[in-house]
Amino acid sequence: MAQFKQWALEYVLADDEPMQLELTKKAAKEIEDSRASSTVVGNWAASVHQWMTLANSNDDDQMEDGDEGGSGDIISRAKALGFLAGTLDVLDKAILRPDQVQRLIGFFGAMFSYDHKAGITASAKALRQLYSMKNFRPEMGIKVLEDVCRLKEDFRLQTAVTRLEIYELLLSLIQDPAVSSELQHKHGSSCGFAVDLLQLCSSERDPRNLLIWFKIIRRLLTEFSPSPEVTEEIFKAFSAYFPISLRSSATPIGITAEDLKEAVRNCFSSQQRVAPFAFPFLMQKLDQGDAITVAVKVDILRTIKACIEEYENPQVSVVPYIEKIWGSLKYEVRNGEVKETIDATLEVLRAIARKLDGSKTHKQDVALLRNYIDLVFGDCKDDLSNPTYTKQAGLLLMTVVTANIRGYMLYNASFIDIIRQNLRQPKSPTHTRDLLLLVNSILKTRIELFNNRKDGHPDDKDQLRAETGTHLVSLFHDVYLPLWTGKASGPDSEETDVLKQVALGVGLLVSQQALDAEGEVSLLCSGAICVDICTLLTITLVKPLTLSSNDNQSQDATLEDDVVLALRRIVMNYTDGYGWILMTARKQIRKRDWAGPSKYSLEALKVLLSRLAFIGCSEIPAKIKSDTEPDHPYSPLRHYYEWLWSLVALFPLSPQSATVNSYILSSLHASVIWFRDACEAKYGASALTLYSKSEKSWLKEFEQLPGDFISQLEGRSILPDQVASSFNEDDPEVYRQFLRLSFFVVRGLYKSATGEAPWSEQALVQLAQTAALVVQSLDAKLQVSCNLAQEAFTLFKTSKDKTCSSPLSGLLTVGILQGLHPSAMTELYQPRGVAEKFICDTSELGSSPRSSDIKAAVGAIYSNKYQAGPTTSEEYQTLKRVLEFWTNLIKDSVASSNIDSASIRSFTNVAMHTTSGAVARQEKLVLDLIPILHEAAASPSPNGEIVARSMGTLVQPNSEVLNKESHANTKRFYKQWAYNFLVRPLYDLARPGSDKDPKTAARYSIVILSVAKNCPFTVYQDDLESLLRLLVTALSNKKDDSILSEGAAQAQVVAALEILVDILSNEPAALKGFLKEIISGTTKVYQESAPSNKTLHKTLTTCRKLSLQVLGALPKTFEERFLLPFSRPTQRMLALACGDPVRTVREAARSARGNWAKID
Amino acid sequence: MREVDNANPAILNVSQLPSRSRKVTTPRQGPDSKCDSIVYSKRPWLCGSSSSEGEDLEEEDGEDPVDAQDIYDLISPISDPEHPHTLGQLSVVQLPDIHLAPPPAERRGDALVTVTVDLTPTVNHCSLATVIGLAVRYRLEQTLPPNYRFDVRMKDGSHAQDDQVNKQLGDKERVAAALENDTLKGMLDKMLETCV
Repeated sequence: MAQFKQWALEYVLADDEPMQLELTKKAAKEIEDSRASSTVVGNWAASVHQWMTLANSNDDDQMEDGDEGGSGDIISRAKALGFLAGTLDVLDKAILRPDQVQRLIGFFGAMFSYDHKAGITASAKALRQLYSMKNFRPEMGIKVLEDVCRLKEDFRLQTAVTRLEIYELLLSLIQDPAVSSELQHKHGSSCGFAVDLLQLCSSERDPRNLLIWFKIIRRLLTEFSPSPEVTEEIFKAFSAYFPISLRSSATPIGITAEDLKEAVRNCFSSQQRVAPFAFPFLMQKLDQGDAITVAVKVDILRTIKACIEEYENPQVSVVPYIEKIWGSLKYEVRNGEVKETIDATLEVLRAIARKLDGSKTHKQDVALLRNYIDLVFGDCKDDLSNPTYTKQAGLLLMTVVTANIRGYMLYNASFIDIIRQNLRQPKSPTHTRDLLLLVNSILKTRIELFNNRKDGHPDDKDQLRAETGTHLVSLFHDVYLPLWTGKASGPDSEETDVLKQVALGVGLLVSQQALDAEGEVSLLCSGAICVDICTLLTITLVKPLTLSSNDNQSQDATLEDDVVLALRRIVMNYTDGYGWILMTARKQIRKRDWAGPSKYSLEALKVLLSRLAFIGCSEIPAKIKSDTEPDHPYSPLRHYYEWLWSLVALFPLSPQSATVNSYILSSLHASVIWFRDACEAKYGASALTLYSKSEKSWLKEFEQLPGDFISQLEGRSILPDQVASSFNEDDPEVYRQFLRLSFFVVRGLYKSATGEAPWSEQALVQLAQTAALVVQSLDAKLQVSCNLAQEAFTLFKTSKDKTCSSPLSGLLTVGILQGLHPSAMTELYQPRGVAEKFICDTSELGSSPRSSDIKAAVGAIYSNKYQAGPTTSEEYQTLKRVLEFWTNLIKDSVASSNIDSASIRSFTNVAMHTTSGAVARQEKLVLDLIPILHEAAASPSPNGEIVARSMGTLVQPNSEVLNKESHANTKRFYKQWAYNFLVRPLYDLARPGSDKDPKTAARYSIVILSVAKNCPFTVYQDDLESLLRLLVTALSNKKDDSILSEGAAQAQVVAALEILVDILSNEPAALKGFLKEIISGTTKVYQESAPSNKTLHKTLTTCRKLSLQVLGALPKTFEERFLLPFSRPTQRMLALACGDPVRTVREAARSARGNWAKID
Repeated sequence: MREVDNANPAILNVSQLPSRSRKVTTPRQGPDSKCDSIVYSKRPWLCGSSSSEGEDLEEEDGEDPVDAQDIYDLISPISDPEHPHTLGQLSVVQLPDIHLAPPPAERRGDALVTVTVDLTPTVNHCSLATVIGLAVRYRLEQTLPPNYRFDVRMKDGSHAQDDQVNKQLGDKERVAAALENDTLKGMLDKMLETCV
């Protein structure tokens, strides 16, 4: 006893929670140790006696006066009760016997009658603990409820936290099935306890408490069966809060207005018993008209929708109110302007239609739905002939008719019939467009309903099967065709809108599917109609090609774009359509003379090819039966194949125009991109790794086919297995087969590109890029099995093929190499292999400037895709030899006086790019080459300057061939790494006035600036001081006595300005010590870069623009006092610059002038 | 607050204003044009450092002396002192009313160029015509080189007192004095805030 008393006292005196917890744990342990003997429990309960007695005697007279000692007593009493509640919290839930639980409930329950000030929070807590005891009996729950209700008016006076505790207690009791059944038993439908609860909690305002209170209310309605009177009382209790809102509070509690709205909505929709009160109440709120805001209106509409969806037995709960609801709601759409309200209203109407139809398992009487749709039909029918309301009436009808399959089946024919009648006498083109929009929406929704048939009631499927569909099919001849032929020639903008709808509509019409008697899916329209539709649209598609530029002035391509989209939809369903479109297009293309095409013809061809590629290759066609025998059996690759065949058949289109031929290859490239994206979207990239059925080399299989195989395929029904096997549209193997087919075509084109009549450069570039795309999609294993590393150099030639060597065929080599994985390239590092020979062969370099670019690209890929191995390996030595060859060649050529600067440029280009590939993967070999390059750059010969200027390339590898998609190996910090070895050692040597001769210093300075220019700021951040000195020197060099050539000097100025712009945006403070030099330097650069020299025009313009940019940024960065001394002359110079002959320079000058004007 | 001279002026949409940028043709935006930038790339493939010099000038960097459109672009974004619109939108400044002498094609070096701008107030009794004229003049002085001379006037017959206003705007001394006035200067700065 004494022990408990002591603990209780300590608990009352303690302030920190851990200590209190400790004490309650001790007490609980004591009780548990005694196995809850009556004495111990009694002692424990009596331990708070001293505070209780005081309470009872003093409560009323002393404490209400707010006496200090009294309030202290309240606190200690509350704490003492807290001790008991806390003990119960940690006590073993099974230890107390039923009589003990009952007695404790009696004790704590009494607090609700006697101790409203101190006892409530702790008692509520204690009761919740007691409720969770094993020996809690349902009848005790009733007692607790009764006790709590005794609080009556004083409930409002409790703090929100205390009330929360009580709400939690009430919710637990009401949710308990045993307690609620006991309550049901005791109170029946009168639900006396519920009335008490409603009175108790009637004026709750706290959002957190409200959420629980609404849960309790919902429970009362769903779990009990209160009489209509009680139901009305309950309804009044929660509807008083509607529409609910939440004031924004400084201390957010994590509850949003939306949570509260949802909670109230749940009360409304809890039980159909509420329906007689809910609908009239909500309708009355809605009919207040403009007095309510959009948000409230939407809340009301959503609540109505929730009620309709949740109430059971719609015949009783929903049907009686439908007329009233419709009467109120139709105007929301018919005359409404706010999108949110209109959408919410339509949702309600759709919900009614769905409810009246029934569920997946149980269908309602068909009369219910029929009556409802009749109601809507009667009101909206006439509006369709009134252009002002056509759209709205259509929306309403659409919503109810197409809400479910049954409604659709009952009414779509008559709906379409009314629209058709109106279309015969339209009031205006807009009216026609709106009516067409409706027909199209019906067709679109039909597709959705058809696709969702599997999730519906079995009756729905039967109904779909029984549908005749003739009224839909006849739409083409009755509606679409007359409209199209009437308006297609020279439509105005309103008529164009109509035509767009026709295009969309016929597309949707062809996509309609039907179920036949066996339940198999087929196209609704006959093959003949599909062909008619294709013909109609294809005329628009090829029209630009049939006209001359004078006849076709139309700028607006939106109709053609819609036709393209419609055609794509059509051919994805009616697969024979694509071949037909292609045939028409081919004929039309061939009709035109391509010997010397005009700009207009070229553009028309380009657009047509691009559209054809999109129509057939941007999706994977579906397998749907048609009434006519298909031209070819279905294959997911069919369109792609037909397209490829068409391209091959057209190529080469013109013997003279390289552009025409390259356009055909461009559209091949585009179609590969489209189809690859379609495969990625449908099967995912993993489809390529999952499937690996055939390990055989594709090339070997292709070799069994004749060389002109593709052109022999015209009219062939199926592709042989060597090229592509047949698969279903859902089989991920389609992706691999697509690559195989693409690879086959690329291979064929490679062979003919290097045949007797070599191709133009433009065509070769397109083909190489297409090859790169195909090759990079193959995995390394496949690349190896096709021996692509070698084929990159032999270009798929066999000994039988005639070859014509052109230096440009190297472009094709780059195309393949670019796509290879490093592991598929290992073979190329064999000593004296084909790659080494190719890269180190300098014989052709002089013949065309492109040869050097090609070799540079091959070199860059070669040095980048080396897979690291031991340094002693043969492969490593080969790579080393190649890199050294080029660096040494540079060194030797610079020193030699016999070599002209053009050759040096070519050599440097190859050498720098080849090395840059190795730099990107931080190859250590590079470190040995850097001193050689430094030496070459510093050479006294004028050619050294060329080397120095191109050193920036080392940290800027060609991103066209070395990028992530093409499996390049680029280390994250390679620029930092290269800068460290390439530039850092040069700062001292390049410093103006260093021991080196001025020419060498100038060359090193070029190297530093050309590298730093290509590096991000963070890379050279640590060397800012030294770098800035070089920048200032570069800007202030006198034009005439410079030791650099004019081109080099200008390039250096550009580099210096670019770096300055970079520094200004990252760490402008670093420039503070150099302001004078920078201002005079940039001013001088501007003045000396006057547009005099034609060849350097671009560089000079860039110099002027950048110098003004730097000048203009200074006033934004530095305080006025630093710039004031320079203000006048700078402003004068900027005023003059505002008259610069180049517009972009003038803009920079104006902006700089505006900034400097503030410094005065 | 003073009553507004013209409470309901006609306002042009920004897209209706004459502009140089819209004269450039935009690339086609069809559903199929996704690949255009890749397969019809303007940049030649694999162009190494060797060919970066002497390239053709990009269109925007070509020589293009100051013309009437430039002047229009400078002054049309000035805000009206009464309405939340620009002078361009209110048609106070119109492209055909801007003249340069000598015209761009005949200009040589730093020869003097005279810019004549005729303004059309929204109503012919506009009391702020002088302020607008001053703002236009001030903006031109701020943004054009010293060899340019300006003649900002009210269009003939567009203002009840156009002679007086023109006289004020043409008087250098009075213009200079007006710019010394802090209130007026503050007003001009506010009008020019919308000029980029």
